[in-house]
Formats: sequence, structure tokens, C-alpha cells
Amino acid sequence: MVVDRGNEKKGGGRGDEKGGTGNNGVIKGKNHDSKEEGMRKGMLRIVSMAVAFSFALAGMAFSADVIKVGHLADLTGPTGEVGKPYAQGVQDYKEWVNAHGGINGKKIDMAMFDYAYNKDKAVNQYKKYKEEGVVAIQGWGSGDTEALSATTGADKIPYISASYSAHLTNPAKSPYNFFCAADYTTALRAGLKYLKDNWKEKRAPKVVFIYPNVPYGIAPIKGGKEYAKELGYEVLSDENVDLKAIEANSQMLSVKNNGADFAWIGGTTNSTAVIIKDARKLGLKTQFFVNIWGADETTPKLAAGAEEGTLVMGGSPIYGDKVPGMKQLMEITKNQPQVTHYIRGYVSMMVLTEALKRADKKGKITGPSVKDALESLKDFDTQGLTPSKITFSATDHRPHTTVNILEIAKGKLVFKKSITLPRKAEWLGL
Amino acid sequence: MQYCGDFRTSYEKDAVVFQTPFIKVCMALFLAGLLALPYLLKGEFMWVALQIVIASIGAVGLNILTGFTGQISLGQGAFFGVGAYTSAYITAKMGLSFWLGIPAAGLMTAMAGMVFGIPSLRLKGLYLAIATLASQFILEWIFIRWEPVTGGSYGINVPRPSIGGYVFDSDSSFYYIVLAIAVAMILFATNLVRTKTGRAFMAVRDHYISAEIMGISLYKYRLLSFGISSFYAGVAGALYGHSLKFVSSEQFGIGVSIVYLAMIIIGGLGSIVGSIFGAVFMILLPKILSLATEMVAADFPSIARLAISFEQGVFGLIIVLFLIFEPDGLAHRWKLIKAYWKLYPFSY
Repeated sequence: MVVDRGNEKKGGGRGDEKGGTGNNGVIKGKNHDSKEEGMRKGMLRIVSMAVAFSFALAGMAFSADVIKVGHLADLTGPTGEVGKPYAQGVQDYKEWVNAHGGINGKKIDMAMFDYAYNKDKAVNQYKKYKEEGVVAIQGWGSGDTEALSATTGADKIPYISASYSAHLTNPAKSPYNFFCAADYTTALRAGLKYLKDNWKEKRAPKVVFIYPNVPYGIAPIKGGKEYAKELGYEVLSDENVDLKAIEANSQMLSVKNNGADFAWIGGTTNSTAVIIKDARKLGLKTQFFVNIWGADETTPKLAAGAEEGTLVMGGSPIYGDKVPGMKQLMEITKNQPQVTHYIRGYVSMMVLTEALKRADKKGKITGPSVKDALESLKDFDTQGLTPSKITFSATDHRPHTTVNILEIAKGKLVFKKSITLPRKAEWLGL
Repeated sequence: MQYCGDFRTSYEKDAVVFQTPFIKVCMALFLAGLLALPYLLKGEFMWVALQIVIASIGAVGLNILTGFTGQISLGQGAFFGVGAYTSAYITAKMGLSFWLGIPAAGLMTAMAGMVFGIPSLRLKGLYLAIATLASQFILEWIFIRWEPVTGGSYGINVPRPSIGGYVFDSDSSFYYIVLAIAVAMILFATNLVRTKTGRAFMAVRDHYISAEIMGISLYKYRLLSFGISSFYAGVAGALYGHSLKFVSSEQFGIGVSIVYLAMIIIGGLGSIVGSIFGAVFMILLPKILSLATEMVAADFPSIARLAISFEQGVFGLIIVLFLIFEPDGLAHRWKLIKAYWKLYPFSY
């Protein structure tokens, strides 16, 4: 019991400066204690002993007056550019929850850890979190998510992250992994469907898949190709462009010679910018459609005009869109425009908060009870901050199957259309 | 290093690994300390200890090849992967035992290592480094593309070992298995370098033409060295996979190869104990640095971000300083310390 109190103080001092000192009246007695701590140490000892004693009397259920959650983020590593706004979204929503009653009166103690996309660091920190008894973890990219998916499954700690690889949606394989946007394969299928729906010519459209030779790039290709053939596309041979590529001339030349009408880009913002710049240089007329991490608000700056008309498979509305949840989000961010990654981080914490609330109402908050609560979410309304409502079940961790097709026009992301795919059983995990 | 009164009257006495009763007591205490570690450490630090023991196996293996035989290899990371995937395939996909998976991983990797070691017959130095670099890229490509075996981009979930009904699920229980394997393999390596084979390795390293004139088959010993070294890498890789319970292509990049080279250079080329020092140093240093930045961040939140960014720089700086002031590695420093205490306080 005493340990719990110690942790709570540590968390209050470090991770959530705002949350820790914000008097919202819910646990006023505690804040009172911590004020005295500075003045009279002897007094503190007596008080804490008394508190410990009363906790001991109250039993285990009472010890969870602070809910410990882990947060692995990349702020300074190779994906820091997108990792930082995402992590900020997660933290901002937590602050808001803590300032507005917490989880049925209990505060969330969630200090962020910057693992700089170094998987060894992520695993080390995870072991620490496990020791501290976290009930869930907000993660980040495929690096940490993949490395930890088996371990979190065995340790029964739900792991919500921004690695939207489809195989994580199959609970038979990764029972404790969750995410809150359409998976990569669904995004690719949605793009193919949108383009086919708008295809006017008689001949079969030609599509090429451009991706880096890493799991993130390869993951959606198999499912995407099958669907492309089903829709009547002619699938050209793949092109590999590395994430760190500085030119893609030979690949673009081959795309040009093959006469591709459409090209999928499954990279990150830098490699996408390289690809579309070289494509424009070679005079390609190909329509590009890009995976969720491949293009965002920074693309116009990186691609210097070549990005006009490129489609992005979005997983959230755009900052300032007229959806119910945007008002609160804009209040929190003080009307400073945020990239879409921020909104997805924000939603991811919103979903976890809902699960924590449900688990708390049912009884003790533990890893398995949070997982059950997440799997009980049915048509959970994110107030419009996701393309559609979120549903998890014990046999299907696909949050939804809707993708917002966005277009980059005049240096801005513009919403084109929402594409919803059927939730086919055979597509689970593929 | 011998001191006054230490007379050896037979070759057997000269060849004893632990020479004096004092050393034997020290080693026994050290082993007891290692055995007690899971009772002292938990969570994160237990995991770090586990990784250090695993890395020691890999570093000793690379040191046999690079430190003792003088063949540089930039493919150690990929050889790790071969071991990890072999054991993963055997345990997870074929459903066989861990106790079969580990030796199979070692043998499979030894074979792979010998195949990729063939260029060493014609090439040496930097040229061999580039040739082994090719093995790194070829194997990495296989890991990600040979989907039926490696799981492609999805990787493979690997179980922890079990005896009877008991599963070594916690890091501290798995640590004992890893420790037993590591002790056995490190003792084997210590003995290996004192045998005919070991002396042949060193002869090849010191002057390969002289070695050949003396009748040492370069072909045999270079390949053997690649095989033994890769065997160690394979076992270490397999243990790593089982410790993380997951194997994927992203874990065995060129970065791993470089880190292992750094381990043996910092620890001391051509020294078994140096390899272990190197493994401890290279795994502990980032951890200590991140603990330090965490502390700084807690006390001065304003410079927290700066401190985290500096971490990598400091890491590099420490390694550079090490190479300048301790070019013979930690093993050399260890020798000096031992010599100092051996004669203390009358260092005449």
C-alpha cells in the first residue's frame, strides 16, 4: 500500500506536472498530505503510516486510487517527427480526463517515456512498467509494438499503439494488441476501391505498389494485391524504395515505362516526397495514393509542389473539421492547428479512458479486465474524431473499416470521401 | 603473470585454467553472485542482466573469429538471426522442444557461417569485411521474404522453454537456463584457445604465410573458425528470440553486427574475459546513460529534451575516448588491476 502512494507522488512530480498539482477536489485529502510533506517530515511519517494502515484495512480494491498506465513514445528518434504530435495527443487527453473527474474519481498516472525508436530501450522500459504494475500501455510504432506483442500477450497487458498492421487485429495471434484506425491493408483496399469507382475508361486500370522492404511496407501488399485483382486492376510488378532513399529515378522510370495509372506508396513522409518529386521530374501522369504515415500536413513543404493531387488514406478528420469532438480538442490545443497524428493519439487515449471507466465500474482494474472492457466497446462514439464508430470484440480487433480519403490540394489536406469496406471474416489479420 | 614462489613443475600444472586456490575461491564467489542475481534484481534490471549474458555468448563467438583468428566479420547480426529463426521454426512451427531448438540453431548457423566464410580463403582485412557484409544483406533479405519459414513481415511468436510441466516464463527463471548455457560455452571457448586448434587460429591471425609454411591448413582453420564463431552466434540469437518471445527481421540488422564488433574491440581482441567485459559495457552503458538523463530530466525538466538528444552523442564520445585511452580494451585494464593487487603493497 505504501508503495502505491510513493509511486503516485513520483508520477505527480514528474510526468504530469499539471495533473499532479491540479486541485479538482476529487482527492483533496491527498494533496493536503503532499503539502505537509515539504514542511514537516515527522508528521508525514505518521500520516502515511495512518494512511497505509487504513489502506490495509480497506483491502486491495482501495489501493488503486491511482491508475498506472505506461506510455512509450518517440520524440527524438527517427520517427520523432510524427511521434511527437501523436504522443502529445495521448498526453493532452489524459490531462483533460484527470482535470475532469478522472476515471470515476481516480487519476491516471501516465508518465511518457521517450524510447527514441530504439527497441531495446522500449523493452527495458516495458519491463519496468510491468514491475510497476501498469494496467495498459500506450505504445507507438511497429518497432516497439512488434517487439512487445508476444510479451504483452503473455503478461496480459493491453497495448494500444499506432502500428496499424493488419495482423495485430487477429486476437488469436496477438490477443492484447489494439489500435484505433483502419489497418494498413484496409486503407490500401479503400484507396483501390475509391480509385476504381472513379475510373471512367473501358480498359483495366494499371496499379503499381511502391514500398520499402521493411515489415511496415510489406504488410498490406499481399491483401491489397488480391483485392486489386478482384476489382479488375492490372497489377504491375512491385517497386522497392527504401525509407531513407534520396532518389527514386530508376523506379519511377520503370513505373513510367509500364504506364501505371495508379501507384500506392507505402513509405513514410520523406520517402514519399522523394518518390513524388522524382515522378514529377520524369513527367509521370500517375495518380499516387499514400499510406497513412506516408503523407501529412508537412508533405507540401517536403515535396515542394510535386504533391498536388496526391491522395492520403486518412484515419481521422482534419483539425478544425465540423465534428462534435473537435470543439473540446480545439479548446485543449488553444486553437493551435495540429496534424492528424495528434488527433489519432488523442482518440487512442479516449478509447483507453472509456475502457478504464468500464473496467472500473465492473470491479478491479487489471490488464485482463481492461482488455475485456476494450472488447466490450460496440459502436463507441468518438464524437466524429475517427472516420466511424469503434467496435472491438473478443474475436476481432479491427476498430472499424472506414478510411477518410484525403487529397493534398494547394498545400492543404482536403477531405474527399469516406470509404467503408465490409468487415469480412476472411480479411481479419490479412 | 606469475609471482615469486609460484613454481610449475609440469605442463599440466601450467595449463590449469584457475591457477591458485584464491582464484578458485573468487570464481566460486562470482558464480554464486551470478546465481543469486535473480534474487537481487527485478523487472527491468533482470532483463538487462539476461541480455548481458546472452550477448556474452555472441561476443565470445565473434572474438574467436576476429580476435583469435583475425578474420573480420560484419555478418554477426544476421548469423544471430539465422539462429533465432531456426530455433523459432523448430519450436513454434514444428512444435519440437527448446532443447532441440538451441543446438539445431547453433549447427544451422555454423553451416551458414561456413558458407559465407568461404570468401575468407581469398580475402582478408577490409575486403573480407565487405564480403561478410554481403552475407548480412542476403540473410536479411531472406528473413523478410521467405515467408513460409520466417513468417515474413509478421515474424514468429516463440515460446519459452519448459521441463516437464514447468515453463520458464519469468525472466529470472529463464536466466538460469541462459546462464548454464553461457558458462558451458564460455568455458569451452577458454579451453579451445589453448588447444592445437586454438593455437592454429592464432598462428593464422599472426602471420598466415608462416602458418601455412608450418603446415597449418588455412582452408580448414579459417572455415572452422567461421563455423565455431557462427555456432556461438546462433545459440545467442536463439536465446535472444526465446527471451523476447518474438523473432522478426528487424531485430538482426547491420547495427547488431556493429555493436558486437564494438563489444570485442572495447573488451579486448583475443581475450575471452574481454568479450564478457565488452558485452557488459555495451549493454549497460546505454542503460546507465538513460538513467542519468532521466534523473537530469526529473530535476531540470527544462533541459530534459536536450539531455535525451545528447545521450547518443555521449555514448559515441565514451567509446571514442575508450579507444584512445584504452586501445587494448578492458581486458588489458583488468590485467593491470590484477597485477597491481598481486604485488600490493610491495610493487617492486
